[in-house]
Amino acid sequence: MISVFQQHGQELLTGLENTILCSVIALFFSLIIGSTVAIFEVLPSKFLRIIGKIYIEVFRNIPLLVIGMFFYVVVPQYVFPMDGFTAGTIGLTLYTSSFIAETVRAGIQAVDGGQMEGARANGLSFMQAMWHIVLPQAFKYVIPPLGNQFINLVKNSSVLAFVAGFDLMYQGDMIASATFDTFNTYIAVGILYLIITLPLSYYMRYLEKKLA
Amino acid sequence: MKRLRKMLLVAGIFILGGLLGACSSSKTQSTWNEDKANNTITWGVKADTRLFGLMDVGTGQIKGFDIDVAKAVTKKILGAKGKAKFVQVTSKTRIPLLKNGNINAIIATMTITPDREKIVDFSKVYFAAGQSLLVKKGSSIKNVKDLNKAGTTVLAVKGSTSAVNIKKSAPNAKVLELEDYAQAFTALKSGQGQALTTDNGILFGIASENPGYHVVGGTFTNEPYGIAVDQGQTELKNKINKALSEMRKDGTYQKLLQKWFGNVAGFNLKEASQQ
Amino acid sequence: MPVIEFKKVEKYYGKFHALKNINLQVEKGEVVVVIGPSGSGKSTLIRTINGLEEIEEGQLLVNGYDLADKKTDLNQIRKDVGMVFQHFNLYDNKTVLENIMLAPKLVLKRNEAENKETALKLLESVGVSDKTASYPKQLSGGQKQRVAIARSLAMKPKALLFDEPTSALDPEMIDDVLNVMKAIAKEGMTMVVVTHEMGFAREVADRVVFMDNGEILENAQADEFFEAPKEERAKQFLSKIIKH
Repeated sequence: MISVFQQHGQELLTGLENTILCSVIALFFSLIIGSTVAIFEVLPSKFLRIIGKIYIEVFRNIPLLVIGMFFYVVVPQYVFPMDGFTAGTIGLTLYTSSFIAETVRAGIQAVDGGQMEGARANGLSFMQAMWHIVLPQAFKYVIPPLGNQFINLVKNSSVLAFVAGFDLMYQGDMIASATFDTFNTYIAVGILYLIITLPLSYYMRYLEKKLA
Repeated sequence: MKRLRKMLLVAGIFILGGLLGACSSSKTQSTWNEDKANNTITWGVKADTRLFGLMDVGTGQIKGFDIDVAKAVTKKILGAKGKAKFVQVTSKTRIPLLKNGNINAIIATMTITPDREKIVDFSKVYFAAGQSLLVKKGSSIKNVKDLNKAGTTVLAVKGSTSAVNIKKSAPNAKVLELEDYAQAFTALKSGQGQALTTDNGILFGIASENPGYHVVGGTFTNEPYGIAVDQGQTELKNKINKALSEMRKDGTYQKLLQKWFGNVAGFNLKEASQQ
Repeated sequence: MPVIEFKKVEKYYGKFHALKNINLQVEKGEVVVVIGPSGSGKSTLIRTINGLEEIEEGQLLVNGYDLADKKTDLNQIRKDVGMVFQHFNLYDNKTVLENIMLAPKLVLKRNEAENKETALKLLESVGVSDKTASYPKQLSGGQKQRVAIARSLAMKPKALLFDEPTSALDPEMIDDVLNVMKAIAKEGMTMVVVTHEMGFAREVADRVVFMDNGEILENAQADEFFEAPKEERAKQFLSKIIKH
C-alpha cells in the first residue's frame, strides 16, 4: 500500500485535488440552491411551493449517476458542451441540493411559528423575516443533519469517476488497471477519502456542541 | 484529541488486518478439478461489446463470438453435457474477479500483453485484433497521427490496453477513460472526444449499428486475444489450448468467425484468424 | 375618519363561522377593550386588524386601507399598526436592543444613531434598560412583554393591538406590564386590547366590546358597561370573572 503512494503519488494528489475542488463547489452551490428551494416550500404562494416540491422529488429520487451521465452525454449533445468534471459537479450539486432543501425545510418548520408572526406584525416582509429571524434559528437545528449531507457529498463526488472527471476514484481506477493491484490501490483511495471526511465529521460534531 | 488517536488506531488495525487477510488467502486448489466436479466452467465475458459479447435486452442472454467460442471450448473439454456459465465483466473488473475466484477463465476481448502475463496465464491466440479508431463520418481525423495534437481528446475504456497504447501513439492527445464501450460511444456522440479507440473488431461492431460513424486509419497495433486463467492453473490452460486447436482443425472455429464477422464490411477474416 | 372600521365582516375557518357580522369603529386615541369567554372570537377579531387572519366577507378599513382588497399591501398596514402577543414572540436570535432596532432599520430605514437613541429611550420607559445586551431567553416573562411593547412602539405606530398580553405571565409580573400599557394609553395611543384584566378595563378603557360565539353582543361606554351590562350573557360573564 505504501508503494502505491510512492509510485502513484502524483496521480493520487491530482485525484485528491479534484475531489476536494468538486466537493467545495458542490457544497457552496447546493447550500444556496437547497436553502432557496426550502424557502419555496414554506412560501405562501402555492405555485412556488409546487415548484419546490417537484425539484426535490425529481432530484432526490433519481440516482446521482443518472443525473451525472445526463449532464455528461445528453446536455453536451443538445445544449452546450461541458467536460466530465463540470457535468459531475453539476449533477452532484443538483442531487445534494434536493436533500439539503428537505433538511432546511424541516429546520424552518421547527422554528416556532410565533417568530415569523412576530416579525410580520412588526412590519418585516416575508423575506426579511425569513432572512433575519427564521433562517438563522433554523440553521442551528439543521447543523447535525447538514453535516451528514456534507460527508455524503464528499463520498458521492466519486460519481466523477464515471464521467472521466479525474477525481480520486477515477485515478484509483487508472492506477488499479495499470498495476493490477486493485486491493492496495483502493485501500489507498479509501484512506485519502477518510482524510477529507474524518476532519469534516469531527468539525461538525464540534460545531454541534458549540451551538447546543 | 485522545479519542481521535484511538479512532485512528482502530482504523489502522482494520486496514492492517485486511492486508494480512488478503495475503494469506492466495488459493492453491486446482480450478480444473472444481470444474470437472461441477461439470461447469464459469466464464467472465463482456456484455456491452457488439459481435463479441452483448447482452440481448429481450432475452437477457449474452451473445457474441466470445460466447460461442467459450461454449464450444466447454463442450470440447467437459463433453456434450458440460455447462458454460457466464458472468458479466468489464475490462476493469475481469482480473480482480478471476483472482478472487468468481470466474474460472476470461474470454472477454482480452489482449495478451507481457504485463498481464505476469499475473494471469493466457491460452493461445483465438482472435487477432488490432487497435483502430472510430470517428464521426466527415471527421478531419483520418489516422492516429491526426490525433497527436494538443486539444484533441480520445475516448477509451478503463483498464483496456487501448488506453495505454493510445497514450504512447498519440502522447499529445488527452485521453478520457470511461466505464464501458456503451458509455464511451455515447460520450463520442455527445462530443466529449473526437475519436473512440479500441480494437477494430469492437469498433466494427459499433459502426455496423451506427451508420454515422466509421472505422478509420487501419490498425496501428497488434492485439492478440487470448483466454486467461489464473496463474498456476496449467491444467485448465492446457485443456483450453487443446480445445482451441481441435476447433481450428474440425472447422468449428472458422464457422464461428464466419457467423459473426462474415458480413462486417471492411473486416478482414484472414487477418483475424491468424495464430 | 375612524382608525379602524369593521363593516359586516365575516370570517370562516373551513365550515366554522368564526366572526359573524362584525361592525365596529375605533376612533383615533380611543382605547377599546375586547372581552368574552375563550373561543368567542376575540383573538381572531384582533388578528384580522393587521392581516394575520384573512376575512372572507365585508370590509375592514385600517387607516383607510381595505384589508379585504387583495391588492392592499399588508406591510404598509403593519408599519402603522403594532401588535403585542400573548407569548411575546421576541426574536430569539437577537439581543433585546437588536429586537427593537431591527424593524425600524429594515422597514423605516431609520439611521443607526437615531434608531439606537429611540430604542434606548423606549427601553428606559418600559423599565428594562439594564437588559439591552441580553437575549430573550434570559429575561422573565414580564420583562419579555415590556420589551415586546417597546419593539412595537419603536415603529411609531398609529395604533397598537394587544392580544391577551398578560395571560402568560406570573401574577406578580402582570402589574408591571399593565402599568406600561396605562402610560401608553395616557399619551393618546389608539389601542385595541383583548384581556381578562377587568381592573385595567375599568380604569383605562373608553369602550368595552363583549363577544361570544363570534358575535359582538355588546359595545358600550366602559363605565356604562361595568355598571349595568345590558346582555344577560355579559352579566353572567362579568359575575364569574369578578368573583375570581
